[in-house]
Amino acid sequence: MSALEIRNVRKNYGSVETLKGIDIALQSGEFLVLLGSSGCGKSTLLNIIAGLAEATSGDVLIGGRSILGVHPKNRDIAMVFQSYALYPNLTVRRNIGFGLEMRGVAADEREKAVAEAARLLQIEALLDRKPSQLSGGQRQRVAIGRALVRKPQVFLFDEPLSNLDAKLRLEMRTELKRLHQMLQTTVVYVTHDQIEAMTLASRIAVMRDGRIEQLGTPEEIYNEPATLYVAGFVGAPSMNMLQATVQGTTLAIDGAKASLPLPARFRDAVQDGARVVAGIRPEALRVAADAAAPSVPVEIEVVELTGPELVTTARIGTQRLTACLPPASRVAKGQAASFAFSEDALRLFDPDTGKAF
Amino acid sequence: MSSTWMTTRAWLLMLPLLVVMVAVIGWPLVDTVGLSFTDAKLVGTGGNYVGFDNYTNMLSSSNFSRTLVTTTLFAVISVAAEMVIGVLAALLLNQQFHGRAILRALMILPWALPTVVNATLWRLIYNPEYGALNAALTQLNLIDAYRSWLGEPGTALVALIVADCWKNFPLVALIALAALQAVPRDITAASLVDGAGPFNRFRFVILPYLAGPLMVALVLRTIEAFKVFDIIWVMTRGGPANSTRTLSILVYQEAFSFQRAGSGASLALIVTLLVTVLAVAYAALVRKTAGSAA
Repeated sequence: MSALEIRNVRKNYGSVETLKGIDIALQSGEFLVLLGSSGCGKSTLLNIIAGLAEATSGDVLIGGRSILGVHPKNRDIAMVFQSYALYPNLTVRRNIGFGLEMRGVAADEREKAVAEAARLLQIEALLDRKPSQLSGGQRQRVAIGRALVRKPQVFLFDEPLSNLDAKLRLEMRTELKRLHQMLQTTVVYVTHDQIEAMTLASRIAVMRDGRIEQLGTPEEIYNEPATLYVAGFVGAPSMNMLQATVQGTTLAIDGAKASLPLPARFRDAVQDGARVVAGIRPEALRVAADAAAPSVPVEIEVVELTGPELVTTARIGTQRLTACLPPASRVAKGQAASFAFSEDALRLFDPDTGKAF
Repeated sequence: MSSTWMTTRAWLLMLPLLVVMVAVIGWPLVDTVGLSFTDAKLVGTGGNYVGFDNYTNMLSSSNFSRTLVTTTLFAVISVAAEMVIGVLAALLLNQQFHGRAILRALMILPWALPTVVNATLWRLIYNPEYGALNAALTQLNLIDAYRSWLGEPGTALVALIVADCWKNFPLVALIALAALQAVPRDITAASLVDGAGPFNRFRFVILPYLAGPLMVALVLRTIEAFKVFDIIWVMTRGGPANSTRTLSILVYQEAFSFQRAGSGASLALIVTLLVTVLAVAYAALVRKTAGSAA
């Protein structure tokens, strides 16, 4: 039995269809990240799971029980919000214990649960403060603590790290990962940050225009993107997309006097003369040292040292390529070079449907 | 630009306003203080210096203590009722329903109407011969015969309080409604997930955001209610048997009906002092509320 099951959920706001049939089944202890840009419907889906919005059709089951029409407090969920949503006039102690207090849990039991959550989140010293006396990171810990004490079947996180600065976001990300590894709870986590999704998730659902574009493990999403959208959305810098034409057993790069060997695994899928998009991750490119691996001739245009890598933008005919090279790579603006990559790193997409071959 | 010049320029810009304020408020106030130590009549000579006699006579008179009680009752009950009704109305008007915008606009009407118009309307409603209240209550079999609501000492003050509430609750509702817009949606959602019912949601989620603005409404309304004159003057003139006579009515009667300018001035200054004490106490409360909400 799935811990959480979403069955063909649709949501309309007037004539606008925000969710167009979502199906997900989540096993206990899974960490699902709903990833997508603004307006893709990920927060709407989370709100439907929480009971803060009603689905137009479809069903949501927690622990095998349909929860549509059930009040949020009776859904056995806890939610952490982007804005922390702490009660401003209550101390940290009462904020964390609020859900238990509202459920009539005895004071000593409540106190024990609050102390345990505070210990886990290392906020014991803050229990008597008000939210206004806390930093952003501390507030987020309190919000997580408020969810933890309830011990629900499913935790819902709505962009919980978006309001934190970059350094704190990284710390809290690790903290969330640590907590999940320790508690093995079922989590649905909404974010537009693909690094958060990649690092935290056991599975990622990439959403676009109210649909799931791809549902898979972070490795699948990164290495085998199902669509051009997923390929472009996940990864920074984004995957290189070269317009090309199949010519027998080669791929002729449009607008350039260059071609690549067509990997054998694609030969049955694409027809001779078909136009395709060749996707190569910038991390998969390196400066060619021998002629063994497939390579493309390029002219270096911009070189940016980020510290751990040299982000190099190069021209290949009328198209551009980005490569993440080791910092010691000998490349300079205006230089002619050759970028090599492993055949396995090449993905092919249909430019009309956007789907991967 | 030097800070001395900045300060000088600020004072120069304020000067016209200061001159007007001294002329229309400062001077009459000083003149009233002087007048309050004399036995001057409204017309005729300036009167003789009588020291604190006006004050001691006024403070020891049963008229004053009875009027002070009436004023306090009027202010406390009407302001408390306005706060409760205003907040309830705001909570209702904050819900999503068809016709909400029209209802919000209609609600402001009683407050937007001039007090004299309001008071006249309520006199008609309370009219002992053809008033709507008597008609409604007799048709509902709640009373046997028409009553003179404004003519009986037992009901006149209550009738006035109802009319005052009707006029002023929209102001409280308007302030509360504006404050409700500031309640973050996430906190309301969090309280739903946490299992808070309507009462606890109001207490823990909404009230902290309402407290500051409501305190301002409370200050404004209490001060206004304490110095109320117009609605009472139009509806009862302080009667029957002085049962609705408030401090401002007493000041008016002393100074203008009985033409005792000195005595009236001393009473006016006592009212001013009481209102100032209220204002200072409330200002401190507002600061405290704002501080705790931050």
